[in-house]
Amino acid sequence: MSAEAKNKKPFQVSHQLALLGVLVGLILLFGIIEPAFFIPRVFFDIFAIAGEIGIMALAMTYVITTGGVDLAVGYNLQMSAIVFGITFVNTGNVVLSIIFALIVATLGGMFNGFIVAKTKIPPLVTTLGTMYLFRGISMIIAGTATYSGFPDGFKQFSTFKFFNAIPIQLVYFVVLFFIMDYFYRKGSLGRNLKGMGFNENAVRFSGVKVDRIKFWIYTLLGLLCGFAAMVYLGRLSAAKTSMGDFMNFQVITAVLLGGTSIMGGVGSVRGTFIATLIIGVLHKGFSLLNFSGNIYNFTIGLILIFSLILYTLTEERRKVKTRSRRDQLESQTAATGDSGSGTG
Amino acid sequence: MQKRNWMTRELVLIIIVVAFMLFLSVSTNFSSRSGIYSFMLDVSPTIVAAIALAMVIFTGNIDISAGTISGFVAYTAGSLAKSGMPLWIFLPAGMLIGMLLAGLNGFITVKFKVPSIVVTLAMNMVHIGFYATFLPQSGWIENLGTNFTWFGRGRFFELIPYTFVGAIAVAILFMFIMKYTKFGMSLYAVGGNRRSAVYSGINPDRTVMKVFLVEGLLLGISAVMKATTRSEVMPSVFVGRELFFIAAALVGGVSIFGGVGKIVGALFGAMLVYLLSIAMIYLGFQDYYQFAIQGGIILIAVYITVIDVEKMKKTFRRKKRHVITTGEGE
Repeated sequence: MSAEAKNKKPFQVSHQLALLGVLVGLILLFGIIEPAFFIPRVFFDIFAIAGEIGIMALAMTYVITTGGVDLAVGYNLQMSAIVFGITFVNTGNVVLSIIFALIVATLGGMFNGFIVAKTKIPPLVTTLGTMYLFRGISMIIAGTATYSGFPDGFKQFSTFKFFNAIPIQLVYFVVLFFIMDYFYRKGSLGRNLKGMGFNENAVRFSGVKVDRIKFWIYTLLGLLCGFAAMVYLGRLSAAKTSMGDFMNFQVITAVLLGGTSIMGGVGSVRGTFIATLIIGVLHKGFSLLNFSGNIYNFTIGLILIFSLILYTLTEERRKVKTRSRRDQLESQTAATGDSGSGTG
Repeated sequence: MQKRNWMTRELVLIIIVVAFMLFLSVSTNFSSRSGIYSFMLDVSPTIVAAIALAMVIFTGNIDISAGTISGFVAYTAGSLAKSGMPLWIFLPAGMLIGMLLAGLNGFITVKFKVPSIVVTLAMNMVHIGFYATFLPQSGWIENLGTNFTWFGRGRFFELIPYTFVGAIAVAILFMFIMKYTKFGMSLYAVGGNRRSAVYSGINPDRTVMKVFLVEGLLLGISAVMKATTRSEVMPSVFVGRELFFIAAALVGGVSIFGGVGKIVGALFGAMLVYLLSIAMIYLGFQDYYQFAIQGGIILIAVYITVIDVEKMKKTFRRKKRHVITTGEGE
């Protein structure tokens, strides 16, 4: 028990510290190149962008920890936004539109969850299929139409700023972060999620309703996609079929950069939080420097590959460390004859 | 038992394709000379790419960046042809670029032991960003001469495009490779059961690397086939085409889990996927239905495979139990 804790802690802390270092470094870098970056209104925009991605990335951390993934998030968001737009244009009722949009997004998540939990189709393939499915559905509904003219009250959801600087997205993001982080670290849910990532059958046979957990976390992710869509929509103020493109990459990149293993079993909501901020800084910094969205996507793609590689390398190093530590313990126990305490 | 089972699946597929063709020719003008010509012309690049993807999927991997790799190949071929190079220079150059990019995917997958689907998703994004950022005019090349378009536009007997003959030749070649060479066998072995592949003397990493290189080569051929039908090249046209390739392979009975499938399946899968997509247009639906239908097809095809795999496992288990119980001597 103690050996495990000793081995695990340095790795996690160092990864998150490294992320924090990268975050601060990036902020300083952009600030030096473009001093306007430090104007509060500009600076806090980071959180507006990070908030939208982050809302989904927090739930995605749960999904990826179980060894699954959801490639459809961006298009679920798109579908939900389109449904909001078309309901609003036809009825003029904001509350009804929000409810419809959230229901559609949740159903999208449920559909993913149902397939992943009930059939044996791998999550990657399931959500690859539903990614195109959702995209197709929103294209069928909207075509090339753009829905806009939403009332100001609705826009307040995402344009409201505390003290004229701190965007409301930061509040959503931080509150959600504390809730998700709490359930991830304390209680049985987080433990079960990690267990499912390591060895699903073992968790199943210990009496946990694995399929039910899977179904509900995908559903939760769907619901949060709908929420993110509302927040995003208030800022952009027009729903069209190009929104949400590449969103799935950004969300997955945030989670993987945050130190969650794509294989499942290991992860951290805190890492996701910091990594999301890094992505927000990059987004804002690039747009300040007048780089096109393509350079941003290009960079995000590179970061995604980089974090995959980085994770494997650190994991390999950790394994070597654990192994040498285990050898050390074994030789110690062999010497002293104390076999019980070391391995726990 | 298993072999006959899978043969039926391919047969069913062929019957569906033929029935679909008959349906289209009765209800629309599909069977006209131009209809058949454009069918053969449009389906040939998809056939070659579907074979490429099928081989990658045999080993239990996948390549989401296949579409954007094709875009790079088309750009390379186009820019070489613009400076007056003939086919036998720009085709190998395109194949080389394909091998390079697909090889990079394979390298990262093998070397860092990450799932190829995530690597290639990221690569997909890197490629798209690269087109728009680093290629002059986003890679748009126009007014290409006949030294480029003769291959895509030429036809035998005024009907059969050169590219279709090429695609069929590639398909037949790879059917033989898959059946009679050690390389072909090793793909199934690695995808079916990695550990037993290792014990039978196959290096899985090297096999996966090889299959990505072969995939790149085939994508090179496929992209040149597609690009040479037009006198301009635009890499972003190829973005998202991997959807067709993957759907074609999966519809053709290639198991997403690896180890199961046939090249014939990919061949007819490509035809079916293409027929479905043009049927929408022939029957007067909007183009927007494409994405939803392809996504749905992927899900259904994989679900059928999953059911098959489960059934196979169940019969296997029953047999084993039978052996055990009789062995124990009731």
